[in-house]
Amino acid sequence: MPNQNGSVYGLTILSPIIDDEKATPSHDLQIRNYLAKLSTREESPFALAPGTHLARLVVMDDVIYVGMPACEEHLKSKYLIFESNCDGDLDAYLHGLADSIPDHLDAIWKHCVGYPGAANRLAFIGYMKACQLDTTFYFAAVNDKSVPETLRALQTQSAVAEFIASHQGADAATLQREFIRFAAHLKAQPLPKAGSMGPHRDIKTGGRNE
Amino acid sequence: MQEEMWRAGVSLPFRGRMSNINGKVYAMNAITPMKPWKTWILRCIFFLLGHIKPLQKDLIDLSFIEFARWVIVPRKGFPFLGNSQVREDLKYDYLLFFSNFNGTWNQYIDAFSAVLSKGLNLVWRWSEKFPGSVPVTLFKEYIARVQFDTDYYFTAYPHATANDIKSAHIVQSSLDHLELVAEQCGPQQFADAYLGFVLEVQSHLGEAGEAPVAG
Repeated sequence: MPNQNGSVYGLTILSPIIDDEKATPSHDLQIRNYLAKLSTREESPFALAPGTHLARLVVMDDVIYVGMPACEEHLKSKYLIFESNCDGDLDAYLHGLADSIPDHLDAIWKHCVGYPGAANRLAFIGYMKACQLDTTFYFAAVNDKSVPETLRALQTQSAVAEFIASHQGADAATLQREFIRFAAHLKAQPLPKAGSMGPHRDIKTGGRNE
Repeated sequence: MQEEMWRAGVSLPFRGRMSNINGKVYAMNAITPMKPWKTWILRCIFFLLGHIKPLQKDLIDLSFIEFARWVIVPRKGFPFLGNSQVREDLKYDYLLFFSNFNGTWNQYIDAFSAVLSKGLNLVWRWSEKFPGSVPVTLFKEYIARVQFDTDYYFTAYPHATANDIKSAHIVQSSLDHLELVAEQCGPQQFADAYLGFVLEVQSHLGEAGEAPVAG
């Protein structure tokens, strides 16, 4: 199935935005205003809800005219694009969103045509699926790990580097004892929060990156 | 200048901070029109690409792409929900492209053009006015024209690149194995296994962190 790559699901949703001349500001602008104020860190709705690797929300104003001799044409609606790379199957993911962040979903999608609200779970899932587009080709660099597994692995990677550096030259018995203690300690660590900034270090940046 | 700042995600007074970039990941959106009869050719190409794994080698080798997808939207395939919505009346099918990559826009397009030029031509040559992926100048102009901005972008691990993630899973897997060994053997055996572990993970220990700042 093109929407799935390994255990990762590529969700693409296009929701038509309400076109109401009397709305001030317009519904698409209200969505943009709301999104502009949303945290992208560990307080993000997608960090609070389970299973999102990466996600984006985009207001698509129109299709793009590429110039003559192509025909110029325009959409009759603006669309809210929700593109998510998530764990597991679609129903479980949508349920997770509706359980964890119903207020955010409602605040964003209430500007879209026919949105029933997250409280009506069946209608919500039916609506999202009605707006879903099938992916034609989906690529995932890592397609067999969940979000918690990846967060755990990144935490481990950093800790292992420190352990190796601080145990150079240790005798075999000490090394084994310390390693067993280290591994147990690492397992007991809480999982880093999705969207958190991770380990901090001083970075020397030099000039333009473009 | 403003275009460069815009591409780089630098704050602009009239727009505020753009959200194509989050940590080390850049979200690209592009849409291109295609004549409907051509989309069937493209569907066949994607079908083959999806089922013949060696054809994906160059895409995998471009190790700075975390996730990417192409979505063909038929001209009558835009979601229609009734109510007050007016049905779309389009002549073209549209190809949507969403990519999540590490590095800058210029680096990405340059690498795409240099490494994947044949593959890109195969995918986009069916789109109207596509100039080809080489030479890169015209290709960049085309991408800039068909790209549109992201309003909100989230990543669960903003400080990690695709390579960081792959390396972290290798370290985790090796550590899990060593942990089993540590419980079952004597100190000298463990020391030998530990040495093997260090040799295995030593090239995968680069720490994730903040991306260099553009500007």
